[in-house]
Amino acid sequence: MASLELRNVVKRYKSQTVLDNLSLSVADGETLVLFGPSGAGKTVLLRLVAGVIDPDEGKIFIGGEDMTDLDAEFRGVGMAFQNFALFPHMTAFDNIATPLQAKRSSQSAMKAGVESVAKLLKIGHVLSHKPRALSNGQKQRTALARALVGSPPVLLLDDPLRNVDAKLRFEMRLELPRLLADRGATVVYVTQDYKEAMALGDRIAVMSQGVIKQLGTPEQIYREPANIEIARLFGDPTINLLDVKPSRDAKGIYVGLSNVQVHLTGAYDATVGRDCVIGLRPEALRFVDEGTSAAIPVTVEAETPLNEKIVTLVRTVRGREILVSRPAGTAGQTEGRAHIAVDGKSALLFDRANGDRIGSKNVVNLRSGEAA
Amino acid sequence: MTTATMQRNRPSGFRISKKVLPYVLSLPALLVCIGILIPFFTSVVYSFQRYRLSQPWARQFNWGDNYISFFTDPRFWNTLEISLLYAGITVLLELLLGLGIAMLLQKRSTLNNFISIMLLMPLMTAPALAALMWKLMTNPGFGVLSYLASLIGLQDFRWASSPSTALFTVVLVDIWVYTPFIMILLLAGLRSLPTQPFEAAALDGVPRSFVFFRITLPMLTPYILTATLFRLLDSIQQFDIIYAMTQGGPGDTLTVFQVEAYLNFFQSTNVGRSAALMIILWAITYFLSNIFIKNWLRLRERARGLA
Amino acid sequence: MEHTSLLERILRGIALTLVVIFFMFPIVWILMMSFQTNETILRIPPQLVFKPTLANYTALITGKLTTAAGTLDIAFMRNLWNSVFLSVTSVAVALLLGVPAAYAFARHKFRGSEDIAFTLLSFRFAPALLVLLPLTLYFQKLGLANTYIGLIWVYQLICLPLILWIVRGYFEDIPADIEYAYRIAGHSWFATFRKIALPLAGPGIAAAGLLAFIFAWNNFIFALVLASADKQPVTVGALAFITSSGIQYGQISAAIVLSITPTLALALYAQRYLVEGLSLGAVKG
Repeated sequence: MASLELRNVVKRYKSQTVLDNLSLSVADGETLVLFGPSGAGKTVLLRLVAGVIDPDEGKIFIGGEDMTDLDAEFRGVGMAFQNFALFPHMTAFDNIATPLQAKRSSQSAMKAGVESVAKLLKIGHVLSHKPRALSNGQKQRTALARALVGSPPVLLLDDPLRNVDAKLRFEMRLELPRLLADRGATVVYVTQDYKEAMALGDRIAVMSQGVIKQLGTPEQIYREPANIEIARLFGDPTINLLDVKPSRDAKGIYVGLSNVQVHLTGAYDATVGRDCVIGLRPEALRFVDEGTSAAIPVTVEAETPLNEKIVTLVRTVRGREILVSRPAGTAGQTEGRAHIAVDGKSALLFDRANGDRIGSKNVVNLRSGEAA
Repeated sequence: MTTATMQRNRPSGFRISKKVLPYVLSLPALLVCIGILIPFFTSVVYSFQRYRLSQPWARQFNWGDNYISFFTDPRFWNTLEISLLYAGITVLLELLLGLGIAMLLQKRSTLNNFISIMLLMPLMTAPALAALMWKLMTNPGFGVLSYLASLIGLQDFRWASSPSTALFTVVLVDIWVYTPFIMILLLAGLRSLPTQPFEAAALDGVPRSFVFFRITLPMLTPYILTATLFRLLDSIQQFDIIYAMTQGGPGDTLTVFQVEAYLNFFQSTNVGRSAALMIILWAITYFLSNIFIKNWLRLRERARGLA
Repeated sequence: MEHTSLLERILRGIALTLVVIFFMFPIVWILMMSFQTNETILRIPPQLVFKPTLANYTALITGKLTTAAGTLDIAFMRNLWNSVFLSVTSVAVALLLGVPAAYAFARHKFRGSEDIAFTLLSFRFAPALLVLLPLTLYFQKLGLANTYIGLIWVYQLICLPLILWIVRGYFEDIPADIEYAYRIAGHSWFATFRKIALPLAGPGIAAAGLLAFIFAWNNFIFALVLASADKQPVTVGALAFITSSGIQYGQISAAIVLSITPTLALALYAQRYLVEGLSLGAVKG
């Protein structure tokens, strides 16, 4: 229905560059998640697409049409705001109906449209209330309903789950993908929550300081983060990062962890002798019996059972702390001395000087606009 | 289908561009602005002219003569002196009184809120009418205030009609009208102050004079400054009360700037001198309002921030 | 603060009583005088108890004052009408001009916007006669002298800065996202202004309008300089009373009461907004 493209967009506020020559394209029907810390420029990007602010340079295309100079009301997008931005003087019904009103729908069509989307979002019973009489969750659903009701070909969702409680956030995280898929709309979804990003995105664009640092499927971002920063943002518990200096022996490239040589699989030839950081996902580590090859001796410091997994903090003989994660219900060392093994295939290697990930396989093309 | 919808939604016909819109919206106000700037510049021109309405044929530029003649003109010095005196006395007294009343009413209670609303009434009375009210009350024949003065031994107290008490009388009226202005601003300021420093001071048994001078006053300073400058700007231009009460008299006792300019224009028809007086007054207020606006903006930012 | 001694409470009580007496007495006294005949007014010592009469008000409202010397015409109702008309129209014009401008200043930081806003603000503090005196001469040339149109235009000096600066603050208080949301929903800027900005700033606009009305009503100098008898508002008209012969003090008092009642009533009604209005939005009440 409508693809979306930003071409070399620049946005400055005073002397500060908020978006720096940013290009991005989202395929028709795709859900793209913009992920990044606050101040990265995510919200500004969304507003540029919506047309409520203008870029200083660059062009914006929706459905192949140049929309750069077009006012917001002509762009045919729907948007839900982080702070909901409901009209305080209108009832929930009137709030949701505003996009239909703009299209001059008939009264009956308006009523039918609002009621069907309200039913979908389970707010049918509060349609006559003003926003101030709604709970946060109801406000959020009303805002979402308003964005959805006109079936816009492009949906912009600005961290819509930010200001709702944990339970609702969890529910909505399950509901939203189906809801969005049913609509078939092109979606740009902003979030600061990596789980939300992983759950919702066909692709994720990781933003920081006005540029897209990495663009790829959730799988790619998780397995092949472009740099240490991104590796640290995705994953809970956080990835283990240890300073290493790779060496080479007959079996290939290895790193020394607590005097144990851990061999890495991958094209790391160029890293020999360089200052690197190795990234080990907690779930890529496992407890092994003493005597297993390349088993690293550790001491168990603490164990935190989470719902679906158990996280153990261990300390190596050199005093480095490492988190190990295993599915709940599986056996593992709970105290005292233990051994862990590293899966050399899933280890990530970063250049310590600039933080970039080293490795040739599946190099992620940073500014590629193509869907993976 | 969607493409078709979007085509239909495309803007059509006359449309105001985003960049022009704010100018279009503010244009009418802008025109009024300009309409008022013209007479302002005319005043500047007049002030450099010998211009009497009674002798239009003799109108010519005399450049700085109107201003230069002020130096040797005792009437001008009297105007300057009485204007500054009037502004200084009224603002100082109103400030002290307003601060005192605001502190009396600081605690939120039904009675205090009721009194503070009642005290607004003089402020909402037209100053000219307030002057008229006081004129009736100070009438030597039947005025209640004249009667009360006689009770405390002030026989034949002449209020505004005697040169020795005219200033006192108009200052009294000014205080009556405008003290509530300072009071209500400072009351809002006092009530918006954070309570923790005061609670901490009370807990530590800090003397109250210390709390007042070291905590209350410094925190209230922006409010005091705004209220003071606001009043100073109005007071140095006072016309209504003085003109309604005494028309600048008796004699030239109360010929403050605007009264003097009015008399010069309408009685002596000396447009040039009148304009020169106004330019000098404008220079004074311009200087004051620049200080004012800076302070006022800061306070406004803060109020918006709290909103 | 909390543990005040008895002495202090008594002193506070006395001080407050004195304050209330000082500020309320003139209004109460004039109100009493307006219900008195000339004989009771002139009696010494002044009377606190008297038989109230409506004669003063009747004379003002009918416009006919019957005295021993004959019947006298009083134009006070004309003054009252002028005040109402001038104030209402000036405020209406100021709202029409000022509200869109305030919106532009609040929402679009365009080039020169602050300069224009501050120029308008500075009018609030410029000496009135500086503009008025040349204006009398211009008005005579333009045929605007002693016309309602001319007066209403000049009254913008009072109303416009007030409305512009107060309403601007109210527009700034509306989160921009709310307006964005309405635009994105497919509505034009004008629809957004009408359906979102105006209703949400409504109370502020109303308050600014009421305040502007009060200031316009209370104005004296503009009408004194620019209007002759048939266009004069109450502020100028009532003053002329005291010098005109034959009019009695009771009628002057009644005229004052009639003249200040509208502003006092409006002030009580809008008192919540007074602080903000009086400080041009610098202090929140």
